Amino acid sequence: MNPAQRCADELNRRLFIGQNGLRLGGMALAQLLGREAGAATSPAAVHPALPDLPHFAPKARSVIYLHMNGGPSQIDLWDHKPQLKAWFDKDLPPSVQGGQRLTGMTSKQARFPVAPSQFAFAQHGRCGRWVSELLPHTAKHVDDIALVRSVHTNAINHDPACTFVMTGREVPGFASLGSWLAYGLGSLNNDLPAFVVLTPNWKSKSAAQALFTRMWSSGFLPGKYSGVALRAVGDPVLYIQNPEGVAAPNRRAMLDSLARLNEHRLQQQGDPEIATRIAQYEMAFRMQSSVPELVDLKHESQATLDLYGPDVQRPGSFAASALLARRLVERGVRAVQILHRGWDQHGSLPRDLSLQCQDTDQPIGALLSDLKARGLLDSTLVVWGGEFGRTVYSQGGLTRDNYGRDHHPRNFCMWMAGGGIKGGVDYGETDDFSYNIARDPAHLSDINATILKLCGIDHERLTYKYQGLDARLTGVEKQRPIKAIIA
Amino acid sequence: MPALLFLALLVVSSAQASSLSFNRDIRPILSENCFACHGFDASKRKAKLRLDNAEGALAANAEGRRAIVPGKPLQSQAYLRLISEDKDELMPPPESHKKLSAAQIEVLRQWIEQGAAYEKHWAFEPLRAATKPLDIDAMLAAELAPRGLKLAAEAPREVLIRRVAFTLTGLPPTAQELEAYLNDLSPQAYERMLERYLSSAHYGEEMARHWLDVARYADTHGLHLDNERHMWAYRDWVVQAFNQNLPYDQFTLWQIAGDLIEKPTPQSITATGFSRCNVTTSEGGAIDDEYRHLYAVDRASTLATAWMGLSAGCAQCHDHKYDPLSTREFYSLYAFFFSSADPPMDKNISTTEPYQLLPTAAQQQRVHSAQQQLGKAEARLSELVAKLRDPGPLPKPAAAPKPGAKAVAAKPAANKAATAAIPAGPDAALDLLVFDDDFPLGCEVRNTSRNASRWLDNAALTHRGKRALHQEGGRFFEHQLSFTLTPFKVPAQGHLRIWVRPDPQSPPQAIALIAAGKRSFWGSGAALDPNAEVPPAANGPLPKPGQWSLLDVDLIALGLKPGQALNTLTLQQVGGIVLWDDCRLQGASQRENAWSVDFNAWWQALEGMTKIPADLPAELLGTLRAGPKPQADEGKRRALFVHHGKTLANHGNPELQQARQQWLSARAELAAAKEDISGTLVFGDAPQPRPTFVALRGQYNKPGEQVQPGVPAILPALKRRENQPRATRLDLARWLIDPAHPLTARVSVNRFWQQVFGVGLVKTSHDFGAQGEAPSHPQLLDALAWQWMSQGWDVKELMRLLLGSRAFRQDSRVSAALLDLDPENRLLARGPRLRLDAEQIRDNALALSGLLNPSLGGRGVRPYQPPNIWEPVGYADSNTRYYLQDHGPALYRRSLYTFLKRTAPPPFMSNFDGPNREQSCTRRERSNTPLQALQLLNDVQFFEAARALAARTLGECSGNDEQRLQWMMRTVLCRRADAHELGLLREALAQQRRHYQRHPDDAEKTLSVGESTTTLALPATELAAWTLLGNLLLNLDETLNRN
Repeated sequence: MNPAQRCADELNRRLFIGQNGLRLGGMALAQLLGREAGAATSPAAVHPALPDLPHFAPKARSVIYLHMNGGPSQIDLWDHKPQLKAWFDKDLPPSVQGGQRLTGMTSKQARFPVAPSQFAFAQHGRCGRWVSELLPHTAKHVDDIALVRSVHTNAINHDPACTFVMTGREVPGFASLGSWLAYGLGSLNNDLPAFVVLTPNWKSKSAAQALFTRMWSSGFLPGKYSGVALRAVGDPVLYIQNPEGVAAPNRRAMLDSLARLNEHRLQQQGDPEIATRIAQYEMAFRMQSSVPELVDLKHESQATLDLYGPDVQRPGSFAASALLARRLVERGVRAVQILHRGWDQHGSLPRDLSLQCQDTDQPIGALLSDLKARGLLDSTLVVWGGEFGRTVYSQGGLTRDNYGRDHHPRNFCMWMAGGGIKGGVDYGETDDFSYNIARDPAHLSDINATILKLCGIDHERLTYKYQGLDARLTGVEKQRPIKAIIA
Repeated sequence: MPALLFLALLVVSSAQASSLSFNRDIRPILSENCFACHGFDASKRKAKLRLDNAEGALAANAEGRRAIVPGKPLQSQAYLRLISEDKDELMPPPESHKKLSAAQIEVLRQWIEQGAAYEKHWAFEPLRAATKPLDIDAMLAAELAPRGLKLAAEAPREVLIRRVAFTLTGLPPTAQELEAYLNDLSPQAYERMLERYLSSAHYGEEMARHWLDVARYADTHGLHLDNERHMWAYRDWVVQAFNQNLPYDQFTLWQIAGDLIEKPTPQSITATGFSRCNVTTSEGGAIDDEYRHLYAVDRASTLATAWMGLSAGCAQCHDHKYDPLSTREFYSLYAFFFSSADPPMDKNISTTEPYQLLPTAAQQQRVHSAQQQLGKAEARLSELVAKLRDPGPLPKPAAAPKPGAKAVAAKPAANKAATAAIPAGPDAALDLLVFDDDFPLGCEVRNTSRNASRWLDNAALTHRGKRALHQEGGRFFEHQLSFTLTPFKVPAQGHLRIWVRPDPQSPPQAIALIAAGKRSFWGSGAALDPNAEVPPAANGPLPKPGQWSLLDVDLIALGLKPGQALNTLTLQQVGGIVLWDDCRLQGASQRENAWSVDFNAWWQALEGMTKIPADLPAELLGTLRAGPKPQADEGKRRALFVHHGKTLANHGNPELQQARQQWLSARAELAAAKEDISGTLVFGDAPQPRPTFVALRGQYNKPGEQVQPGVPAILPALKRRENQPRATRLDLARWLIDPAHPLTARVSVNRFWQQVFGVGLVKTSHDFGAQGEAPSHPQLLDALAWQWMSQGWDVKELMRLLLGSRAFRQDSRVSAALLDLDPENRLLARGPRLRLDAEQIRDNALALSGLLNPSLGGRGVRPYQPPNIWEPVGYADSNTRYYLQDHGPALYRRSLYTFLKRTAPPPFMSNFDGPNREQSCTRRERSNTPLQALQLLNDVQFFEAARALAARTLGECSGNDEQRLQWMMRTVLCRRADAHELGLLREALAQQRRHYQRHPDDAEKTLSVGESTTTLALPATELAAWTLLGNLLLNLDETLNRN
């Protein structure tokens, strides 16, 4: 068989178009949309999984990662310390502080007055977990949530800590969690990217910490595994809309001409990359339908919209992003990351943390309910957390109704629900001041190892050659998935 | 596992080749599977066995057994362990997840049988003088022949010229270039064509692009705020260095130690910016020691990768597992950079020191004459001020005065003396200049950018005087002025008046003035206070863009009282660009601002001031703060009087007023002359070296052994200059370019080969260590490296050699058999065919459309970018949070000059595998994705180019459809369409015509995409149809590749 013929066959296989040439008719297109690979009528996967993956039966098919950027306060949300009331404005005992390094923002503070949370906690669910009054909606799901109270990381400043939480390294250049999942497990949908990122707006003070595209970048992995930002302003996916004056039919006609000319070239040149390019233009065309369909909420029921709250109608809100996350995993997108900014409460914590929770709590509760109602929660792992936690002592002035907290990487809380998680379980304990881990530490890399495991990946075996090493998400140290929170 | 694929290619297809090479065939297998536990890193070594050298592998252990017994596989424990069926015995152990294939085990068996000859790792062997003349094609052919292959025929000329043009200039051939080449029938036609591109100014741009990936050059600091930094002069230096064909050893020397050479020049110092290109931070709370450490790690690792192909960064935490590089040696390399002069916190400014100013001769001359003018103006002013009537020292109180009346009692006398200078009595109307060409003396200025204020020095765009204040900053920008030496007070019926000119192309949404804390604004209240439930009411609509308008603030109506201090003034705008000029305080009386004429009133007004004003001689500060006191030192009092008289006082004397005006103009001119000079971040050493330690496990706060600057022991020794207690970067640079260094030439030649052929002779161009891939043609690499180095490191000559080879000129068409045998084209039995790089793809579209602006160098530009690329990630306070697009010719500059923000790179770069320059990158991926297709089809930059190409076609070719289609085809691909293609193109044109004739409104809309306009008198439907044809041709696979 000559190479051109072979390439053309390959192309036909990829495009699933048989004898009818390259024209993708309306019927075929409709069949292609929103179908998972493996279904009888769908084409072969454009991005298949690596040959040896999954390493074992996955419990989660998709991951929704809710990243609260800035470092949400564990003490005011999840790590209930009622005995701290008695410590109001007393100095944090040096034995607790333990000479650990502090950021330059508080290291010169004359004293470290303990700031108990001013928020009330109550017990919820069958598991009886204590949850802050700031999270009434999430609290309804405690029996589906495994809470890790003893997460720790090394970095004490945002930039390296954010880079670490998503890539497993503090310095730029490494692949993000979502990229690893896309690389290892491939895509379940030929018309949407495998890894999608949302960066909703936020309510608290506008001076929020920055995000970095490296948090969803493929790093050393091939660029096609980078997260694709689904945008609230402008095109939802970059360049998804035809230019002004180019209507769908003339775009289709132009693409048909393009495919024929490229096919002709392929016959002469023999380079299989030409076949790939033809296929990618067809996928681009399909995305021009699948993406607008994805972001169009008009077929959602009123009941569903109500569940997520009034903000859901506001493009770019966290609520709208949460609903889109559900729609994405419904369509087989592997990894969805929502990065919500504004959680860096050095001062005015009571006011700003309340605003942040108003933004996110109802939509998160809704997302869990919605996934469950559709039978998707079992196959979707939902992860919640920030890049570090916050100090028990107040940064700056402390009063009965106002305080701030500095960065605290020594212990903070993350939770997971769905996709193989044992609900209602608590893992790890902190000391009375939520300042040190008392039992069962869980490094962020352990959290990442757990996420991979739930997706059917042995974190030590998903590697990529980089700088002469078998680089992996969980780094060179020995890490272990947290078995206690896995069902 | 590409390394093994290539191995298989070599071994399996040449089974008759009897002799195995350790470096080529064995080391990759051992390195991949064994060295982690049996390699260089002693701390991780298991069973005390090392297999990376003969001494370790052949030695007997305590039981007398040997890992390798040459010639005897079945007595070699290493081999027996590989084939063991006992799980406890089997190597590698199952928990390592490593497994050798049967073929690999067989290769190892053969090697032991053949005598298990070890070789020093090939890359560390010195280069040897060539014994015969270098012949690239012959050396490639020698590898092809045993496989029954040979070099392919030469590619058609139309393909070749495009291949050469992109390789050397990153641009497509012009019609003239194409014609000249096709018409040149001499045997030297190809060489002549090559020379034309080698001497193009665009050659340096294309060559620089590759190096800037290695150097991790970008226009922002990269961490946290990711603010702008000024180092484009370094980028431009790289372009020039290639254009001037600076020998590569000098290129190396200057970048590492251009500040330490015997006679440093501005160029050699600019070159040291290489080591300032790393990402830096100024995050609040970040710890200095941590970042000083991280920067040195980055600089040492980048140097090791760029010149030595070593992944030295691994040794930051532990001895290298695969390469002979200890942690101690890594920190010795790091020690060259640890004592740098730059601060660990970049301060979020563009000019973090050390910063080299780079004036042109004309700029220097301008500063010089401005200084002379200022000197003259000052002398004239001093002369006149000396004649001013001085009220003299305050009279000593004669008798016990009423308490607190001391100064007051003194004042009338003083006033009486001074008021003679006031033109029209105390209650004449006030007209006091607040600022014009510069801020008032002593004014403290802060602005959103954290950088110096920008003044537009363009007489055509000022309202008054020489220049106007330029505010530009994306969504929000403000200047906060705090007055010190000018204690402005609200006059009776006071107004503050300022002229503004909103930019016609980037008008703001709102403009606001805050005087003494009270705001007035024009334009959109919702834009100014987005969170307000009810947007505030504006003073008026936004002033008309493109012209000067007066903003008039009635201070009394704002709620201020006459006599109230006006210590601060804030100039705000939401979005866009605004020029501000000629700000005045006006009112019905001069009484409140008597300080502006009366020396003692001024002195009184500033009594007790806590600030330290600029523009005041330091020795007068105490006297000023003490206020007008009879006991004041008379010399200082007089000096203060002169200072006030010279710099501030409004004199009735027209001669003096004029002299003052000249002096202020001269000051503004000097400031403008200095501001006009750009500069660049450069590398330098701190005055005293910092003690440097091994950072245990890579942790900056866990110091281990102290180290001195030094180099790895496996490489040649470092020569320190005599009488130097400590090796310097200059020693390091000279060591790298010493002919005895085995790596510099090999690594560099290999990268140029990669640039030309797509894949390096060593595919892992960043890693020449044991984990890297062995060269596909080791003798060729060495011969090239030797010749290049020994003949003066001449880069153009090297490019001439590579591009002149038959290998490069081959046809790139491939048969199925060859594709099977050599999918990556490592054997080069066909020409290289590569997808164009990100910048080339964009520049190609600009060039073909005729939109390209070919000017060289300068500050990064901001072409079209979709909304919300920077904004969702940017820190609120960052000066690169809001993207403010340029207009006009800047939209069409070459992509090399696109402003590169690291935390949110331009989509055309990231979409097409351009690195974000956060760390060094020696090789880009070439991906093929649907997002690329979407961008090429729909991005305004590409669609506008398609329209301009269509307009060019219709304007420059007056033939029929077929001729025009052929013209367009030839412009885009340098060739004619064949009959089949022509048929398809005609059909496409007919379809698009039909569409637009039926939808003429759509046709009109296509004309609005992009900012360029066409002057052709053509029906919109026709231009639109041809635009889609342009769009089609610009998206052809052939267009996106160099074929």
